[in-house]
Amino acid sequence: MVQLKEKLCSLAEAAKLIKNGSRIAFGGFTIHNHPMAFIYELIRQGVKDLTIVGFTNGNEVDILVGAGCVKRIETCYVGLEKFGVAPNFRRAVEKGEIEVVEYSEDLAIERFQCSARGDPFIPSRILFGSDIPKYNRDIKEGVSPLDGGKYHAIPPADPEWVIVHTPMGDRYGNALYFPNMQLPMNWDLVMTRTTNNVIVTVEQIIDRERVLRLSHLNMIPRFRNVAIVEAPYGAHPSSYLQLYNFDAEHLTMYARLARDPAEFKKYLDKYVYGVKSHLDYLKLIGVENLMKIRHVGGGL
Amino acid sequence: MNEEPTVYEVMAATVSHELRDFERWFLGLATGEETILLLSHVPLVGMALAQHTHAPNSVMSVAGWGLNPVLNEMPTLESEIPTTTIHWRCEAHITMSAPFHPFATKRGDVDVGFASAAHVDKYGNCNTVCIGDYHRPKIRLIGPVNQPLHFSCFGREIIIMPHEKRNFVDRVDFISGVGYLDGPEARARLGFLGSGPVMILTNKAVFDFDPKTKLARLKSLHPGVSLEDTRGNTGYVHNFMPKKVAITPQPTPEELRIIREVIDPRGVLLPR
Repeated sequence: MVQLKEKLCSLAEAAKLIKNGSRIAFGGFTIHNHPMAFIYELIRQGVKDLTIVGFTNGNEVDILVGAGCVKRIETCYVGLEKFGVAPNFRRAVEKGEIEVVEYSEDLAIERFQCSARGDPFIPSRILFGSDIPKYNRDIKEGVSPLDGGKYHAIPPADPEWVIVHTPMGDRYGNALYFPNMQLPMNWDLVMTRTTNNVIVTVEQIIDRERVLRLSHLNMIPRFRNVAIVEAPYGAHPSSYLQLYNFDAEHLTMYARLARDPAEFKKYLDKYVYGVKSHLDYLKLIGVENLMKIRHVGGGL
Repeated sequence: MNEEPTVYEVMAATVSHELRDFERWFLGLATGEETILLLSHVPLVGMALAQHTHAPNSVMSVAGWGLNPVLNEMPTLESEIPTTTIHWRCEAHITMSAPFHPFATKRGDVDVGFASAAHVDKYGNCNTVCIGDYHRPKIRLIGPVNQPLHFSCFGREIIIMPHEKRNFVDRVDFISGVGYLDGPEARARLGFLGSGPVMILTNKAVFDFDPKTKLARLKSLHPGVSLEDTRGNTGYVHNFMPKKVAITPQPTPEELRIIREVIDPRGVLLPR
């Protein structure tokens, strides 16, 4: 019997694929839907000099910056929404430790659509007058061959790696979403079309038989992925819309501790370096806290 | 309705009075609790008030998820997209369609947007990126977010700021949202669709822009706010004082009733 290639692996095995200096995009939006379990593992493995290409980033970028994994970020926003500014990001930029490449939100998102289409650039007319093209040297001014008008050429996102979190998938790499997808899921999907190096973490691995019966939900067919990892509550402390809310107590604590490098180091020691596995992390967060945030069927 | 309106109700009514029927309004995300109150909750109530009074055919987009939400059923908008939003009643949920938002923003679909900033300058240019030198900033802020789109393509932009002296500067250190840039001719030169910022709304006052010079000028003080207090808390160095300062119109008793009984009966959007 011919066997399908198994793409199911551990977080540690999947994270090892990411080499120092990689150009990488993470799914999610502000404090929602980030593949946090994967990010914690990247930090544990000590990956360095990442270029993060993103839009409307949040706690996933802040913790990577605070852990010293990031060299450069191409984005429109790094912040924690209700929980305020992103303290590690802010400190690192103020000290000149990381490079930020500014985009507006619509263009930062469209850069992924541009990559997915295989187009060389986005023509844009909305940046004139702003200081974005002055400091973002990747944006070039040009003249339209059609009407002679001036525009800016915005480069595609072109990540080498894309990591997203979805509700479920099978061991061969198919990754499924619930119906009623919201904004972060939709943009995650666009991301997964921008490279052949996609890694998916899922809340639960399900049987192939169930995937075949839920084929209308199979939004990331297995040929798109190189690896799939089971990580229940894998977006914590971000929300996973439809399944659980963000952990407000945890993010409040995070935002407070991240303001002070020494306190933040203790945070990392406890929640990232101090746990051996994602299961250990969940034990540390505790069943009561996980029960408080869950909202199963939130999208039904 | 005997009680005096709160400053947030005055601000919401001011937003409402700026809005017209058959318009399309766009609300984005905010960072930090105070900004969420000023930049999310005040415009939400203002837009809903307009819809309940003079603008029933308008459409508000709460950016991440829906058109025309039923506000009196909503919990606080503590995140742009709380996990339960799909259960909040609204006229259209932006679910599968997120890459195809109902608003064609770059074709000029949006009539009014809302923005805030750490700094706003005399020409209404906004800065959400950094304070000080770009490469070694004194303070790094959140980033440009969607300001370039708001200020270039939206018909009118309402800037909402906490009224603190340091927030009003002569020239912003980084232009993320282009107001009138450097004078009255700039926007035509830049080829923008939208007409630019129409007001700076604060918790003390309203500024508008002189039609000739496009310089920000004090238009009205909210009820009970003194001129000296406002002047002392405004960092502008240009002459922003008009010959005569008006009082911001208070919400009418009927508007106040709609805010408190219809739009926000549980008082979760505006503190009172």
